[in-house]
Amino acid sequence: MINCKQISRLLGTLLLLAACKERYDPPNISPATGYLVVEGFINSGAATSTVITLSRTVKLEETQVVHEAGAAVNIESENGETYPLQPGVSGQYSSQPLTLNPASRYRLRIITSDGKEYLSSYTPVKTGPPIDSITWKREEGGVQIYVNAHDEQNNTRFYQWKFEETWEFYSSFSSSLIYTKDQLGRPVGVAYRYPDHSINDSIYQCWNTIYSSNILLGSTEKLVTDVVYLPMRFIEPASVKLSSLYSIKLKQYALSREAYQFMQKMKKNTEQLGSVFDPQPSELRGNIENINDPSEVVVGFVDVTEEKEKRIFIYNREVPGWGYNAGCRQEEIDNHPDSIAKYGAGLLPATPNKMGLFGAILTFYASDPVCIDCTMRGTNVKPDFWP
Amino acid sequence: MKPLTNTRTGKRHVQPLAVFLLAVLLVINYTPTKAQATGTPLVSGSFVNLPAKDFLLQLEQQTGYRIYFDTAHLDTLKITLDITKQPLLKVLDQAFANTGIEYAADVDNSIFISRGLKVQTELPAGYFAGNRLAIQDTVDRQPALPAPGVKAKPQLAQGSKLYEIGQSTSAGGGQVTIAGYVRDSKTGEPVIGASVYIENPSVSVLTDQYGYYSISLPKGRHVLNIQSIGMRDTRMQLLAKGDGKLNIDMPAQVMTLKGVTVSAQKARNIKSLQMGAQKIDIAAIKQVPVVFGEADVLRVVLTMPGVKSVGEASTGLNVRGGSADQNLVLYNDATIYNPSHFFGMFSAFNPEVVKDVQLYKSSIPAKYGGRLSSVVEITSREGNKKKLAGSAGIGLLTSRLNLEGPLVKDKSSFVLGGRATYANWLLNLLPDQYKDSKAGFYDINLDIHHEFNKKNTLYLTGYLSSDRFNLNSDTVYKYGNQNISLKWKHIFNNRLYALFTTGYDRYKYDIYSDKNPVNAYSLGFNINQSYFKTHFNYFVNSSHTVEFGISSIYYKLNPGLYQPLGKESLVARDEMESEQGLESAVYIGDRYTINNNLSVEGSVRYSLFGFMGPHTVNYYAPGLPKTEDNMIESKAYESGKFIKTYGGPELRLSARYAFSNTVSVKAGYNTQRQYIHMLSNTAAMAPTDIWKLSDPNIKPQYGDQVSVGLYKNFKSNTIETSIEVYYKRIQDYLDFKSGAVLVMNHHIETDVMNTKGKAYGVELLVKKSTGKLNGWFSYTYSRTLLRMNDPASGEVINRGMWYPTNYDKPHDVTLTGNYKFSHRFSISLNSTYSTGRPITLPIGRFYYAGGQRTLFADRNAFRIPAYFRTDFSMNIEGNHKVHQKTHNSWTIGVYNLTGRKNPYSVYFTSEDGLINGYKLSIFGSAIPYINFNIRF
Repeated sequence: MINCKQISRLLGTLLLLAACKERYDPPNISPATGYLVVEGFINSGAATSTVITLSRTVKLEETQVVHEAGAAVNIESENGETYPLQPGVSGQYSSQPLTLNPASRYRLRIITSDGKEYLSSYTPVKTGPPIDSITWKREEGGVQIYVNAHDEQNNTRFYQWKFEETWEFYSSFSSSLIYTKDQLGRPVGVAYRYPDHSINDSIYQCWNTIYSSNILLGSTEKLVTDVVYLPMRFIEPASVKLSSLYSIKLKQYALSREAYQFMQKMKKNTEQLGSVFDPQPSELRGNIENINDPSEVVVGFVDVTEEKEKRIFIYNREVPGWGYNAGCRQEEIDNHPDSIAKYGAGLLPATPNKMGLFGAILTFYASDPVCIDCTMRGTNVKPDFWP
Repeated sequence: MKPLTNTRTGKRHVQPLAVFLLAVLLVINYTPTKAQATGTPLVSGSFVNLPAKDFLLQLEQQTGYRIYFDTAHLDTLKITLDITKQPLLKVLDQAFANTGIEYAADVDNSIFISRGLKVQTELPAGYFAGNRLAIQDTVDRQPALPAPGVKAKPQLAQGSKLYEIGQSTSAGGGQVTIAGYVRDSKTGEPVIGASVYIENPSVSVLTDQYGYYSISLPKGRHVLNIQSIGMRDTRMQLLAKGDGKLNIDMPAQVMTLKGVTVSAQKARNIKSLQMGAQKIDIAAIKQVPVVFGEADVLRVVLTMPGVKSVGEASTGLNVRGGSADQNLVLYNDATIYNPSHFFGMFSAFNPEVVKDVQLYKSSIPAKYGGRLSSVVEITSREGNKKKLAGSAGIGLLTSRLNLEGPLVKDKSSFVLGGRATYANWLLNLLPDQYKDSKAGFYDINLDIHHEFNKKNTLYLTGYLSSDRFNLNSDTVYKYGNQNISLKWKHIFNNRLYALFTTGYDRYKYDIYSDKNPVNAYSLGFNINQSYFKTHFNYFVNSSHTVEFGISSIYYKLNPGLYQPLGKESLVARDEMESEQGLESAVYIGDRYTINNNLSVEGSVRYSLFGFMGPHTVNYYAPGLPKTEDNMIESKAYESGKFIKTYGGPELRLSARYAFSNTVSVKAGYNTQRQYIHMLSNTAAMAPTDIWKLSDPNIKPQYGDQVSVGLYKNFKSNTIETSIEVYYKRIQDYLDFKSGAVLVMNHHIETDVMNTKGKAYGVELLVKKSTGKLNGWFSYTYSRTLLRMNDPASGEVINRGMWYPTNYDKPHDVTLTGNYKFSHRFSISLNSTYSTGRPITLPIGRFYYAGGQRTLFADRNAFRIPAYFRTDFSMNIEGNHKVHQKTHNSWTIGVYNLTGRKNPYSVYFTSEDGLINGYKLSIFGSAIPYINFNIRF
């Protein structure tokens, strides 16, 4: 007789709908040449320039980004004005800051190096409200960051956000020592980095920056007033991000309904599929067409809008008991070539421990490079906005 | 039409008990010998025009033999004979020569006189090892009139009792009509679909869903045969003198220790005009292994050819290339909008209450309409009219209890069934991230049936179901069906009866989430419909049956109420305007039996739908895609105003030609219109699907289908085979624009588009319904394609080419088998294979908005891996002693025996900038289950 409890456990795991999830490799059906991908918006903000990025789709198993160089890109208005975009690096094409006529409509004309001509549809100028504030709350041990915005005219309704997170962090151990090396480059001893025995700030204090990789969208269409209060970013508990000082810059874009729907569709296609009741993926057609072959797939939606941004800082002292731990450990090593060869290989020296006569270093601490050299995880160039 | 006489019944009734006892005596006492003509006593005498009865009485006196006869058999026979010292049997030979009267003698000096059939005084070899109750007459429950004249001697067995119907007013030819109910003699429940026929001339009818039949016969003497699966074959001697009533009680097939094969004439599939129709009774349903061991009505329908489903956690049926909303699911007369429980893992019908399920996929009767693909008619049992009985079952996830019994003995009965789940304990065993998950459902059925008198019967059906779940999210889903229907059946006379039905159906769902106080919301949706139907059935004569009626449904949909939950919520209350519609239909049809081989049926149904105010309708610039930009006007209409009407005739034609008793060919043509549509962006039937009435912007769906089938039975009709071919066209099938928003969309017409569809296929079925080994095998090849090539409607899908629907599965094979080792132990195996369903595959990657994105190929251009599953179950019954308080049984089985990880869906997701494909299987390994059932 099978134990009833066993059956129930078995059933329990089976009922867990996501439990029977396996990898699936689709058949290779990618076309030989990719399709044109157009990213960016025609910037109606007078202070900043328009940047359009052109790239190509690649096969599923490839990870590189194939940029499209050598294209001619122009912004055109209904009234016949034309603003050319200058090619830059990485498939970027940028304009001077433009002053657009809010009553007119604009579009993008792209002629690629293979002579194909693409046109986006005319789109009216959309302006959006600024970000009122960025707030945060402790939630489930971490920090949840919210955006607050509102449009008194109640006509923005569709929003997109991007963010840029930067945090300051320190190496677990400061280092005043470096290895001295023999002719073969093998460490044979340690010496002070500086005559004053000070530590090396350039590998002790660092900054790291990451950009949003998910599509963040919001709609207030169902709300009485055009008020946004939405979670933007969650910082995991004890994350390095809040080990010292953290900053997030939010960029907010007002979208047209069509652009919102396009982004929503893209988001659904790539971020939201898979649970039992989710919709099927769909074709992704934006507002750009090959003027000679409308059936050609072109990815992208060119909206005419502006960017509004705001930045906040959060100090580690504001999140008591944050508990960041890098998991680093120091080894005590004899300042002797054999000992260093045996125990110190692959480590970096940190600080002296036992001192002998005349300031000789008998033993020293060493640790994993990641624990000593913060540039392995970020940059030691202080961002210009950093306090 | 001439007024028919009142009920008359046979006049010379012998007490049923006596017949029964005699039958038993015959079986027990008589040892097989041969009656011999010599060796019988000699008789002499001169008889002139002596009534046969008196003649036989004289013979009895002379010989000391006992002669058993029925005066009715002898009728008006007069004997004129002059004999001297002739052996008794020889005398009888002479006397009854050419009269159709037979006799038989046995060793105990008894002689049995009968008409037509010779009484067997011997039994087949080995008979006593078999069924001692094999010979049993049927009994007539109508009050027996005292037999005038001679008190009949003990009668002959085997249907020898003669039932006289009608008054013997006139001699000579002419037709009479006999009608009545066929019921189970033990429970009083109607026997549906029983074949009632005479052989010469061949006239055959079937009982309808109330067990009612009406048959036209030539006047005179007949043997009336009644057959139904699971019931003992019954024959009755009839003397039809005039129109009359004959209610027949059929005994159920009592469990025998050795099977008695009853196979003659079970050729319903050959004889019936229906094609593309499948009927499965609950006994067969219960044999099919299903997940968690809960007998599942709809899942068994899925094993039939031409019926598919998108996946396991779905009871949405796709019948002959139709979508899930194109099926009319009727429970008695109530429309069930969501026939599933628990993420679709269970169907919403309690197996203890269901009697059978009938699926119509091509010859849809004219009384049904409003859906394109099929009608699934689920009939509940009427309940035991003789005594209180019940049953209960316990499974791992659900329990059920069913009570039935008489309210007024033999007049009315009730069935009350309930089911509930206790799945929460199971969800509690899941890993922590699922600890807040909850799921539960219940359903309650109540059926009451009361027979006021022979002409008036009332049926009341109530149904209630409720589901509630939240799975790993803070969003709670609730949905439920509520139905009530009241039906009055009135029999005007033997040839005409009518059904008047009225009822109210409701389906609703609610979703709410209160985690984020600012966005806390609740969303509600419901459909309400009230209906009234009348249906008349007129048996004109043996070759014409006319059906006609009218029906009307008033719909009221509340397509969405979105409102804030809690004080902090900033959610704006948003209410979709209610939708009203009136769908009416009138129909008439005639079933014409031209001759024994050829019969045709033609019906026309005219349906009319009106979309009614109050409603505000958006109008769009003509010739332009329906988008918000192209909206030119919003017009408000007042209450009760018909804003837009659609309508048209629907034809239902079918014909059958029987080449022989075992081969027939049938053909049919059907058209359908559908005015209510389900809007679902998911392939399965999800609780959040919304329904939408046709309105000025959304046209009704229209479909027509032509089908041809060939039917052949083998081995005395124990093996039925059929092959059916169909081609179907659909117009204005609703598909969705990419990324459509369906919920709370005030201009849903901008997110949907009308497509053209076509479906075709061939279906093969081999079925063996009797014997130790029984079951069926079905194979279907079918395609379902859609096309959207009108740029004026906004979005052209796949460049205007035909593309498969997301439930298009060309190959589908099902084997369902059951082997009875004994009456207490049987095993069942269910095996199914189908082509994987289409999906839209990713074809490339690109970088956008800070992440790697996926580009998808044409809609539904590729397929997920094929589906294969085998289930196994064992049914163990307790002992079969008739007289014990409870009967119990166990069902033990394994679902998905091979443990194959059948993909429910394949999806792609972006994780850490990489695009990963996943295959999601719902039942990815073998699932054992156990179920305990008890009847009392």
